[in-house]
Amino acid sequence: MNIGAALLGGFIGTVVLTTALTAASELRVTRMDIPFLLGTAWTQDRTRARVLGYAFHFVAGLIFALGYYAAFVGLGRAGWLLGMAIGLVHGLFAGTTLVNVLLPAVHPRMGTPYSAANDTPLLEPPGFLLLNYGRATPVVTVLAHVVYGGIIGALVAPGGS
Amino acid sequence: MIGDGRTVALVARDGGIDWLCLPNLDSPSVFAALLDADRGGRFELCPDVPFEVQRRYVPGTNVLETTFVTESGIVRVTDAMTLPGIGLAPIRELARRIEGLAGRVPMRWRVEPRFGYASAATRFESRGAMAVALSGGDAVTICAWDAGRPTSEEGAIAGRFDIVDGGRAMLALVSAHGEPLVFPPRRDVETRLDATTAFWGDWSAQLRYAGPWHPAVVRSALALKLLVFAPSGAIAAAATTSLPEGIGGERNWDYRYCWIRDSSFTLEALLQLGCHAEATSFFWWFMHATRLTLPRLQVFYRLDGGTYAPERTLPLDGYRRSRPVRIGNGAAGQVQLDTYGELLDSAFVYARKGYSLGAGTGRDLARVADFVCEHWREPDAGIWEVRAAPRHHTQSKAMCWVALDRAARLADAGHLPAARAPHWRAEAAAIRHFIDTHCWSTAKDSYVGFAGDEGLDASLLLMAIMRYDEPDSPRLRGTVKAIQRELSHGPLLYRYTGDDGLAGGEGAFLCCSFWLVEALAIAGRREEATDLMNELVAMANDVGLYAEEIEPVSGEFLGNFPQALVHLALVSAAVSMAPTSS
Repeated sequence: MNIGAALLGGFIGTVVLTTALTAASELRVTRMDIPFLLGTAWTQDRTRARVLGYAFHFVAGLIFALGYYAAFVGLGRAGWLLGMAIGLVHGLFAGTTLVNVLLPAVHPRMGTPYSAANDTPLLEPPGFLLLNYGRATPVVTVLAHVVYGGIIGALVAPGGS
Repeated sequence: MIGDGRTVALVARDGGIDWLCLPNLDSPSVFAALLDADRGGRFELCPDVPFEVQRRYVPGTNVLETTFVTESGIVRVTDAMTLPGIGLAPIRELARRIEGLAGRVPMRWRVEPRFGYASAATRFESRGAMAVALSGGDAVTICAWDAGRPTSEEGAIAGRFDIVDGGRAMLALVSAHGEPLVFPPRRDVETRLDATTAFWGDWSAQLRYAGPWHPAVVRSALALKLLVFAPSGAIAAAATTSLPEGIGGERNWDYRYCWIRDSSFTLEALLQLGCHAEATSFFWWFMHATRLTLPRLQVFYRLDGGTYAPERTLPLDGYRRSRPVRIGNGAAGQVQLDTYGELLDSAFVYARKGYSLGAGTGRDLARVADFVCEHWREPDAGIWEVRAAPRHHTQSKAMCWVALDRAARLADAGHLPAARAPHWRAEAAAIRHFIDTHCWSTAKDSYVGFAGDEGLDASLLLMAIMRYDEPDSPRLRGTVKAIQRELSHGPLLYRYTGDDGLAGGEGAFLCCSFWLVEALAIAGRREEATDLMNELVAMANDVGLYAEEIEPVSGEFLGNFPQALVHLALVSAAVSMAPTSS
């Protein structure tokens, strides 16, 4: 196991995850758009928001890969199956807490269940399991994170890279 | 109506709160006596002796004052749903301040929460001195200060107290949804109520309108602001479900959704009144919500942006036994081609004010325009969502023309890809040819409701408002006159003539009358428009609000309440006749 493989896995995994979610959005399966959600925290310009969002998401993807690496080290083993299992937890955490609760709490342009008439947010909140963005959103999001974890696990596993 | 941007409560003239959904406007009800007086649940608060009532909003606010005059004294109740920002606020808080103005008045209050449209089991428990009503993840409690000791009665929390001249009591209904209840201290509730009053006053003071109907326009803007669901920016068509379009009839629908139909009116009204933050929020929500179905549009979207709204009936008696009581709305699956015109017009209105649409939105709108080119020849359910067989509705075709006209003009301005503009213009010309050939009646000197028919439809007035043709167009002038001749009843207009696939009749549709005001103004008949506007403004209820319809003979309101489309049409008509408007 080496940390470089984890970072490489994080990079590839984030490419795959972002591409999968973008494809799902273009196919009208979901309105989930992580770069857009992240980027609009800094700017109201949609194009610039996507660029910033992609950059931030890649950084986050690398940081999370380090977390996966720490988990592999702690467990004393690594592999695509274990990576997918951690990815499942990661996806569920993202849907229930990270994007549903924490992102609206810090995002200056996103509504929350507490937004009232004295507030005019620009982005609707994702809701529990991100269901506000389409009924298939939780499935797509969790699957994308499972693949992300599988890629990191496969690369970190002995002989993986 | 009082509200906080997440939900609204309807306060009856007797001081009772007969309608409240928690935590959001489209959530299941906790008080629904409006739809079932016996079982729906309500929050009573009134003198325990005979009384007369005077009501008003605190000027420029959504804070309601109800003054009870009794033989022994006078008492004022000030109602508001408070806004957060001070202290640890409950997720939703309804404050009721009671002030003695003269003499001594015995008061009683009784809270009967009935969760889940009165169908969910409700438990009553104690938390120290507090009585709490619980159902699943929901809970409500009542905090009472100088308003008698809350006692649990059968299925209710109640209290009694006397209020004397200069005395002051407070009741606060607080709720929780999936989290612990917050029991606020009185000082916080009082401060939030005062801050809420101040917020609404500041908000309405910024509205830009200087015409003769200022009070009606400001009240409409305040009502519309309450129908905006703040977490997303969507605007609900009305605050209620299943208030009947005919007493005892079946025309009872759930309007707690955001209709595309209302979108361009909403944007135009918000921008005309200077509510730029709300307009931007609405446009962002609009483009985000529709992404899941683009280029096809659903007729309406849920306030959270979802598309799933299956229609079902509830085992409630209905308003004055008008059944069924429905939640969800079956119109979601209809094809209504006018929505495409409304979407493109919204974008046009927004861009005309100098806002950037962005390249991605521009591409999405271009796909919508292409979709219109492919589908405008098909029949649809029309703007009124008739449940009869699809027809070639004239207004739908005209709005398809509007869609392509606006798309081409947006392309000219660089907001949409320019390459498709000639195709959009060619198809727009084909639509106009269809309308002028198949949807015109020489006998009536008017456009007709749908191709091949001779019936009229008040929605044709929108052809003038949407500038389908020049203001002095003989055909539009003829259409306005024909609608006045055949659909009017005094100052009021019925929507259409003929069968719509439903049993029973309905009242006059108030938004159509305001559209007539605007169409008359556009046609240069301003004196007539002014007279009609004055008559319509006088028809609001005692606090300036309108339902969807009105019964022409009795003057009784019908349909859901308050209706956003009516207030939007009022604002649009008033602004169209403002001194600076031409």
